Amino acid sequence: MMMNGKERIRKAFKVQAVDRIPWIPFVGVHGAFLAGYKADEYLQSADFLVNGINKAVEAYQPDGIPVCFDLQIEAEALGCQLAWSPDNPPAVISHPLAGGKSLDILPKFEKSSGRIPLVIEATKRTRAAHPDIAIYGLITGPFTLALHLLGTDIFMMMFENPDYTNELLAYTVEISRQMAGWYLEAGCDVIAVVDPMTSQIGPDHFEQFIHEPISSLYKYIRENGGLSSFFVCGHAQQNIEVMCKTGPDNVSIDENIPLDYVRDICKRYGISFGGNLQLTLVLLMGTAEDCQKHALECIDTAGETGFILAPGCDLPMTTPVENIQAITTLVHDPYQRDVVRALEKTAEEMPILDLAEYGRTEKVIVDIITLDSESCAPCQYMVEAVREVTPHFEGLVEWREHSIKNLDGVTFMSSLFVKNIPTICIDGKISFVSQIPPKQELIRAVQKRINEKLKLKIREKHGKIVLAGTREELKEIYDKAKIAILELGAHIEIETISGEEARRLYGISQTPAWINVRNRIKSEGTEPSIEVMREWIKALL
Amino acid sequence: MTHEEILKMLAICVERGKVNKNAPFPPDLRDQDGADELAKHAIDQGITADVVLSEGLVTGMTAIGIKFRENRVFVPEVLMAAKAMTAGMAHLRPFFQSGAITHKGALIIGTVMGDLHDIGKNLLGMIVEGAGWEIIDLGIDVSADKFLAGLEEHPGAYIGLSCLLTTTMLNMEKIVIDIKASKPDAKILIGGAPVTDDFRSKIGADWYSPDPQGAVDYLNGQQT
Repeated sequence: MMMNGKERIRKAFKVQAVDRIPWIPFVGVHGAFLAGYKADEYLQSADFLVNGINKAVEAYQPDGIPVCFDLQIEAEALGCQLAWSPDNPPAVISHPLAGGKSLDILPKFEKSSGRIPLVIEATKRTRAAHPDIAIYGLITGPFTLALHLLGTDIFMMMFENPDYTNELLAYTVEISRQMAGWYLEAGCDVIAVVDPMTSQIGPDHFEQFIHEPISSLYKYIRENGGLSSFFVCGHAQQNIEVMCKTGPDNVSIDENIPLDYVRDICKRYGISFGGNLQLTLVLLMGTAEDCQKHALECIDTAGETGFILAPGCDLPMTTPVENIQAITTLVHDPYQRDVVRALEKTAEEMPILDLAEYGRTEKVIVDIITLDSESCAPCQYMVEAVREVTPHFEGLVEWREHSIKNLDGVTFMSSLFVKNIPTICIDGKISFVSQIPPKQELIRAVQKRINEKLKLKIREKHGKIVLAGTREELKEIYDKAKIAILELGAHIEIETISGEEARRLYGISQTPAWINVRNRIKSEGTEPSIEVMREWIKALL
Repeated sequence: MTHEEILKMLAICVERGKVNKNAPFPPDLRDQDGADELAKHAIDQGITADVVLSEGLVTGMTAIGIKFRENRVFVPEVLMAAKAMTAGMAHLRPFFQSGAITHKGALIIGTVMGDLHDIGKNLLGMIVEGAGWEIIDLGIDVSADKFLAGLEEHPGAYIGLSCLLTTTMLNMEKIVIDIKASKPDAKILIGGAPVTDDFRSKIGADWYSPDPQGAVDYLNGQQT
């Protein structure tokens, strides 16, 4: 049975079977990009956040979505100064506890502090607008919040003043607990405890300082009906095991940690895991094909159960929309996954087809690029649709199936620039993508091509003879050529040009000269690839 | 204590982050002399400043840098070692000022424009300084112009660019291009969480290392 996003996430968190891999694009300031705002204005307006989330849900059809990916909300409410940026989340630039000041100087942390009211409002509105997807409330993890408040002194305090460090972490985890409570009340399904700075410490320090506070946080989230996820980014490989021991429902990591490493440890602890799509080199700077290939690698490594496909952290603001959509397609369409796999297998150098052949054949060729019409239902229906209409054209139309499980199919796919499976190409031109065309529409499209081809043939027949030379030189040749044309019953035009023109146009050095000129239309209305152009040029050599 | 023993203990104090006698950490060295006292003691005993530097402080920092690279220690341990190194280094400052000892060279470091994160950059600075190099730290949010001005002031210095954010990787690229346009011979090292060697080769920087010790190896290798 088809699950909705929320059910899918819940099942995956519980390491239970799902109908397909759940997918969560971590849209943070990328939502600002989608909705046309700057990052700083986006993160300070409930309306803008909601607009960005709505755009992301529409564009990416996710199973879950975070409300606000900003790890500075609690720090700001506790008196840290922020430096705002138009294309990034803000950065903390002052640490109120620097040097180890007393925690008493911090302001009271309340639901009305800082930007908390606006993120809670955005959460409620997102919950109401998207009842079927999992809503993630992101809170700053206790260690990262401690670092915001104290600065990097915390690293040395762990050695020099462990009591103060413990006191501070007991305080910050209480802040995390309050935030988690408010997010759950507002309708979040999942509380993601984002604690990237734990990647900077070793497992001993983790167990000494972090284990207890964060374990109590996960217990609290569970008791209040929420699911919990431990987000860490950076080189945190050393801590995955101790993270699992704190008892979250899920561990989410970035590209710095191998997914199989996390998979093995999480499986041992019966915990689900998520990640770890590469943010920069693939999602931001790669192509849609790169993204699909990489997402498939993640899925294949992770396995089907207890895994959530997600970027390693929040998406860079200007990540190309088509890259993320390509992953959505891959997740939603099992055939697309087979396509990417098939292409992967045969990615070595492929021969390039000469598309001009389509113009030369008498018949109209309908190519159906499929995964395999025996195993892929949409492919089968598309092949049947074509098979059904071809008899209407009484031998003028020929159809061929190209399964991309074979090299031939992949060659066709790449030569014809086909991106989706199944696709119908009529005489080399992409005509129907993924959707099975209604019979009449298919007939119309084929008929249109027959008409075009007919016109082309007529135009090609209009070859001409060019005679070059002086009037004197050409007099006799011209007359003889006319007689020859008449005798053959052909309709061929004779054009005469001067020796000068002949030199310029055809490189003729001596006259009289006879030049056969024939229209060889190689392509019309499309831009062939450079490989195809090279083939055409070779034919002239 | 023999000279050798003093230097060995100094290196251990740096590596383990034993700053001075009063420092409570590490517990097993409580009430013993730290890097501060041992460096002073070494100079008082007539060990030359360059030997104190190379066989005491640099040896200790190299050891911690290698452990950091091998994921055997983490940021807190490196910061403690750096704190101990700084305490020892204070006793060598007059010798640097008089010219009795010199740095191996200079590295100008900064987090690139638009990026305000400095933990990685600071760590690199500490470890490279601990390897005997002079560090000129331009701070965070640093433009190409500032790096170029730094080069004017310290001719022949290497440049180290750091970034944490994916968006500022693009600024890193611009800065490398601008520096190379003005100073084609400048050697630029890059680092930071999102940076890779592929990215380095794409933007035309000279060296990438995922850890500070790799930068030390590169810089030391450039000297020979």
